[in-house]
Amino acid sequence: MGNDLRSVTELDRLIHEPARLLIVTILSTVASADFLFLQRETGLTKGNLSAHLSKLEEAGYVKIEKTFKGKLPLTVCSLTADGQKALAQYRRQMQDFILKTQ
Amino acid sequence: MKSDLSDVQQRVNRYWYTDGLAEIIGGGMFILLGAYFALQDFLGPNSTISVILQVSLVLVLIGGAFVSRRLINSLKTRLTYPRTGYVEYRVNKKDTGRKRILVATLAFTISALTIAFVAIFKSFDSMAAVTGFIVGMILVLLRGKASGLFRFYILGAISLLLGLAISASGLNEGYALGLYYGLMGVCFLVSGGLTLAHYLHENPLPAEGQSGQ
Repeated sequence: MGNDLRSVTELDRLIHEPARLLIVTILSTVASADFLFLQRETGLTKGNLSAHLSKLEEAGYVKIEKTFKGKLPLTVCSLTADGQKALAQYRRQMQDFILKTQ
Repeated sequence: MKSDLSDVQQRVNRYWYTDGLAEIIGGGMFILLGAYFALQDFLGPNSTISVILQVSLVLVLIGGAFVSRRLINSLKTRLTYPRTGYVEYRVNKKDTGRKRILVATLAFTISALTIAFVAIFKSFDSMAAVTGFIVGMILVLLRGKASGLFRFYILGAISLLLGLAISASGLNEGYALGLYYGLMGVCFLVSGGLTLAHYLHENPLPAEGQSGQ
């Protein structure tokens, strides 16, 4: 396998997982979104979404805050600067790989 | 798991309109604006109240926009966020700058066209048609295209046709604009109301402990 194609093995596997890729992509388009919105948009179960968000939070890609909007309690998620850089890097690597294998 | 990434941005944009609340409040504001223009014609140019109304149009518009936003957020906190979740939209400073330039260009173009129209035709009779066209374009290009929601294309077409029909009716400028804004306001109320009814029917409040919060 050429060096050019070998770079695909260096993809960030944390983001590469489909559910987490969807979560990170949604969060990249907004300033923040709450747990309920993410659950409905991704179609993941509550437990599954919690697990993926925990992994992203541990890696420093997502920030999770418990807050209030008026009297409504919310668990709000947002993409950190590291998370945005990681997603941008992932997109570049994938685009590069696709171009070289066309 | 839903895995279509291609329209994530559009789905997020669409979410703001999913409950119809923006249209309901916007419809109310349009009706008030219609009453504003009709009242000016009713009172006549020499009335003190009419003069006060004319000079306060900018305040009315700015105040209306401020109140609308707060009202929509308050209603969404009660109705929408507990049902389908909360989103805070990104404010892109570059986009804000571009939008301001676009709005300023549009305002300048409208003013120039209006002046040219009056100079050539000596009449404001086409104000309703021009307004209908501009509102229609905003609905189609900024709302319909951005959100992918078909109802904005329909509202855009209604705006255009309404403006043309009212201009052709020969009503005075104030009554013509009053009728245009009033009827468009009713259209927004109906569209928003039906959307809200559908949204509430499809999205009951989650049971205690199932909201994911």
